[in-house]
Amino acid sequence: MDRAERRWHDRTPGAWRLASTFEATSLPNLLVPIDLRDGEPTGPSLFALSEARRIAHQAGATIYAIAMNDRELAPRVVSDLGRAGADKVILCEGAGLGAPPMEATHGPALLAAVERVPPLLVLFPAGGAGPELAPSLAARIGAAFAARADLVVSETDGPFADGVGRVFLRRWRSDRSSYRRLDPVEIERPVVALLASGRRPGQGGQGGQGGQGGQGGQGGSEDIDIEVIACPPPAQSGIQEIASEPDGLAEVSLSQVLVIVDPAVGVEALARLTAEAPAGVVVVDRKAAATAIAASAPEILIGVGHADLPMVGTPSGRVGVILFGDAVLPPGALADVLWRAPGDPGDVVWADLARALTSLAVPATRAADRAGRESPT
Amino acid sequence: MNLIVCLHAPPATTDGHTLGRDDTHALGHALALAGTGPSHRVTAVLAGSALETGPLHRALAAGAHRAVRVGGDDFGAADFHTVGQVLAVAIRRLDADLILTGGRSDDDGLGAVPAAVARYLGIGYVASVEEIAMAGDGAVEVVVRGAGRKRRLRVKLPAVLSVVAGPQDSVIAPDRTGNPAEIDLLSLADPEATVVRRRTELLGREEPASRGTEEVTSAAALVAALDRR
Repeated sequence: MDRAERRWHDRTPGAWRLASTFEATSLPNLLVPIDLRDGEPTGPSLFALSEARRIAHQAGATIYAIAMNDRELAPRVVSDLGRAGADKVILCEGAGLGAPPMEATHGPALLAAVERVPPLLVLFPAGGAGPELAPSLAARIGAAFAARADLVVSETDGPFADGVGRVFLRRWRSDRSSYRRLDPVEIERPVVALLASGRRPGQGGQGGQGGQGGQGGQGGSEDIDIEVIACPPPAQSGIQEIASEPDGLAEVSLSQVLVIVDPAVGVEALARLTAEAPAGVVVVDRKAAATAIAASAPEILIGVGHADLPMVGTPSGRVGVILFGDAVLPPGALADVLWRAPGDPGDVVWADLARALTSLAVPATRAADRAGRESPT
Repeated sequence: MNLIVCLHAPPATTDGHTLGRDDTHALGHALALAGTGPSHRVTAVLAGSALETGPLHRALAAGAHRAVRVGGDDFGAADFHTVGQVLAVAIRRLDADLILTGGRSDDDGLGAVPAAVARYLGIGYVASVEEIAMAGDGAVEVVVRGAGRKRRLRVKLPAVLSVVAGPQDSVIAPDRTGNPAEIDLLSLADPEATVVRRRTELLGREEPASRGTEEVTSAAALVAALDRR
């Protein structure tokens, strides 16, 4: 592939120019910090770019993918980011930035990128560095913050130009009694948000938020510019890594479909569901995976044997609950769909559920992307 | 070592819990750490009204050495910048080595107050901590997950750690009747505490949720309904 890749090196981050973001004469910037795993962008990162592309198409905005790494990005990765929706890539490059992101080590680099491109919105993907970096970024730049938000574009004209829509973020209160709608322009300051997982246009699967992306979502160009900001490591981060091992629950936080099983229903049921779960559907023990569940933002969430799911979900997400016997749905519990399974949990229930879950299968990210890209449309 | 646990008043629950979910883990870790040395002290801090002191009473009953309510404002309507700044001012007065908070509140669930506290204190911040141990020499060891790795880190103090539920239950002692400590009131008349930003959240419109619960009779119907909605 013959790519015209332009690079700028070692620019000193400019002064904070937040006010200019809201001037009617300038179109807004949407920033999407990209989570890399083994050098590849995560599925939720690409989904976040596709969501940014969806609203940028209607709101007239420039999308910047912000990557932090200790080396150059592979040209193929840059192309993937462009294809997912980025107009430009900003790479914060420096020693230590290839490690798992932490506020102490990565926060200053992210701030450098945000100072370079004052944002209207900063959209963190689900399951990545968002919970670590997003609140601190919001605190640093005086932004509003929305955890597990989704994006809505109004049909009415926004403030930037005729024919350019207005963008809102919606987030649930945790008890899901209501949601709060944020208008970055009305607030007159940027909004930092954590998005949920979802299917982006062309990823496959059925229904879901991919449909939302399909309402206006358009892919971008694979031939995009990349700007490099040299980011020296903080003089004193105060953090020292003592040990590191693969996280056995890593896929939970990236999941689009998450099935959370109460341990009371039995280890056999959990093992069976886990073994039979299709691609893209993650089944976990509610207690053993508590930390990873807290960091997840799936598109579809199913609680099995319990309805204790208060901290997960966005207004666009969907929640199913399976209860057994005489169990009742507690007041205020989250449940878009409820199945009261007959009697005690037994083999029939698990076989039925495992079979039903196959319809929620999500193609593996890269393989599916490549297959989709190489197929004629 | 002075350990401070920041608590919030969770919404009224039918099960009578007076501590937020993640706050329970934060308090549990603080009390466990305090148990490792006679000089360690735990102070529970809450920014709220006199009607919201339930978590502080619970913390005292569980073994906290001191409970402090930060008064002087309607914090229920304040955004995370404001609450973070107010807590930071209070913590600075209380002289803390380690500040533990729950990862998220039970109502809004933003998880942003801990970062704001660290920001206004100008000290380090680590999110989503699931294990904590004393490491000596002014540091603690924590376990965190992220980017596909489970890592043990040494964190230099002072620092703010936001705590989430880990694989082990946090042990909070049942209510004791023998702890006579009363709740101290810390009123922030300091001009610094009045420099607040109130606009980030309050302009966000609250809209009622309109989704009901659809009841189905099979696993296939459940999954189909979820995929359809």
